[in-house]
Amino acid sequence: MNKYSDLQMMVYASLLAALMAVGAYLSIPIGPVPIVLQSLFILLAGLLLGRVWGTASVGIYLLAGAFGLPVFAGGTGGIGRFFGPTGGYLLGFLPAVYIIGLMSEKRKNKVLTDVFAMICGSLLIYAFGVSWLKVITGMELNKAVAVGMIPFLPGDALKIAAAAFIARSVRPLIGNGRS
Amino acid sequence: MAELTSFSYRPGHSFIHKIDTRFKLLFIVIIGFSSLKASMSGILLLSLIAVCGLVMVGISLRQVVRDLYIFIFFLIFIFAVRAFSAGGVALTNPFGMSLTYDGLIEGSLVCLRIILIVLIGLLFTSTTRTAEVKAAIDWILRPFPFIPGGRVATMTGLMMRFIPVIMEQARETSSAQKARSIENRKNPFYRMVKFSIPLLERTFYNAGRISMAMEARCYSGKRTGQKLSSNINDWISLLVIISLCIISFLV
Amino acid sequence: MNIIEIKELSHMFSDGTLVLDNIDFSVKRGEFIVIAGRNGSGKTTLLRHLNGLLFPTGGTVLVDGVSVSENPVRARRVVGMVFQDSDTQIIGETVREDVAFGPENLCLDRNEIEQRISDALKITGLISLADARPHLLSGGEKRRLAIAGVLAMKPEVLAFDEPFSNLDYPGTRQVLKQIIELHASGRTIIITTHDLEKVIAHADRLIIMKDGKIARTGSPEQIISDTEMFGIKEPYFSRMGLGMISWLS
Repeated sequence: MNKYSDLQMMVYASLLAALMAVGAYLSIPIGPVPIVLQSLFILLAGLLLGRVWGTASVGIYLLAGAFGLPVFAGGTGGIGRFFGPTGGYLLGFLPAVYIIGLMSEKRKNKVLTDVFAMICGSLLIYAFGVSWLKVITGMELNKAVAVGMIPFLPGDALKIAAAAFIARSVRPLIGNGRS
Repeated sequence: MAELTSFSYRPGHSFIHKIDTRFKLLFIVIIGFSSLKASMSGILLLSLIAVCGLVMVGISLRQVVRDLYIFIFFLIFIFAVRAFSAGGVALTNPFGMSLTYDGLIEGSLVCLRIILIVLIGLLFTSTTRTAEVKAAIDWILRPFPFIPGGRVATMTGLMMRFIPVIMEQARETSSAQKARSIENRKNPFYRMVKFSIPLLERTFYNAGRISMAMEARCYSGKRTGQKLSSNINDWISLLVIISLCIISFLV
Repeated sequence: MNIIEIKELSHMFSDGTLVLDNIDFSVKRGEFIVIAGRNGSGKTTLLRHLNGLLFPTGGTVLVDGVSVSENPVRARRVVGMVFQDSDTQIIGETVREDVAFGPENLCLDRNEIEQRISDALKITGLISLADARPHLLSGGEKRRLAIAGVLAMKPEVLAFDEPFSNLDYPGTRQVLKQIIELHASGRTIIITTHDLEKVIAHADRLIIMKDGKIARTGSPEQIISDTEMFGIKEPYFSRMGLGMISWLS
């Protein structure tokens, strides 16, 4: 990932952070439940920016939200959002992106590696998200899984497939705009 | 237009606008922790004060409710879970679950706590400029040796700058595709890919340009930071907030 | 001494295309130069050598007597660059913050920065918009903001890449007036364009580029009638034999 200067990677990481914020409001209106794009950009942050800058971009997004900038879905809440029921998912983004970046950096542009990396990443998000949901609402584990994980799995599978495909065609474009 | 939510900074000269950002953040933390210990009437008192603050800043409460309606569903859900799962003597038994008095109390306490935190967050967001938030981030990260606070602040600013641009780009991409009847395609994979690739292509191109423009204006990690200054009013408000929180434990 | 000296400058892209081929020219302090050429003639690439966004693959570029390759940061302080697309030049979230970006990078003192911000906003007439969000400005205002952002760094030379692209009539007038004022206040101006009509009447020298080479150079009156040979439209007033007429009149 040393092909680009730190400055360039910094700007790209800020861009992905902004995409995460906007992604919470972007949806593809299909069927009764629209597909919200935020987690697609989380996956892509890992795939496109790698472990260091991917994690940085999620970090910036969370930090800005924690400091009260209006970047979280459904208004704001600042640091309080992490103590809310969805706080675990937000926090889970960090290790998820790290692991996706780490694994996809090892074997570059191999679709299967990317997909496997994203499955691991998504599971990490749920591990954090569901356990926190369980703590905050006092639900039993099986109920928390039924409410906070199962309904989202089909959408996730789609996003993983899409992200693998998108990463393949966007990777060569990184670095454009400078000549 | 092109804002994520209607909750962004509102220029103004109210008392709350003038408090040092670091103090405001500290207040949020203090109130957040106190709300865990405070009694029901204590939380109501704090929320009432937060609502007064919002009115003072000029935010209509109707707007708040309208923008947070999904959040309200969420609250109802949490309330129901709590109300039906706490122990105690059952009041009624609909659908074979027991609704208890303790559950009702506990449910409303949890919901009020969340509402309080959201209100305080709103108050902060609408009275604090991004530049001030950036400066506070820089200041707070300064003691951490491995985190470049200045750089984090710059990235935060860039992110906020990108948001409206991405919104516009997304709207353009989506209209251009609607004009070519993309809605006839029901395959969500196809739709997601066809929407995201042009959006990313365009925004990555812009990001490349911006990195060059930053270079042209001599950007390096070393630069003048934002200044933050606190005065006696900030300390007075800190005292007021602490005493309010103590009162909220007692009432 | 000339403020800019370019000697035998060549630039080859990594794919092997030669975009600049043995360019030689110099710019005197206070000069107003227009570089014209078709798209792809190498104008923008040439401009980017002036402040170290690109480095020569052959030859040298001296800005204020110092090689750009050796000290790009110094060159960036001397030569302020206004890019073709102001949207991607604006970095701050408000007009004021954007103007502050450059001076902050120069590690100036806060008071000095505030002074420079208000000076730059005054010169460009954007004072009343200081707290506005840049993406809501009009095209002309955005371009002037880009200029303000550069002015706050107090450059001696201002380089404009296609300053009139995508501007409506009032926007073009505003920006042109601005450029003329800046020149009158003693700054050196370099403009690239494929549209001579708007600016040529104010220039001291015209340089025509073709395929990465300088094809013609001289005073506008002398060589303006040659422009059509190089794919550049000859201004109406010149074709009609009316001499040089400012686009503002």
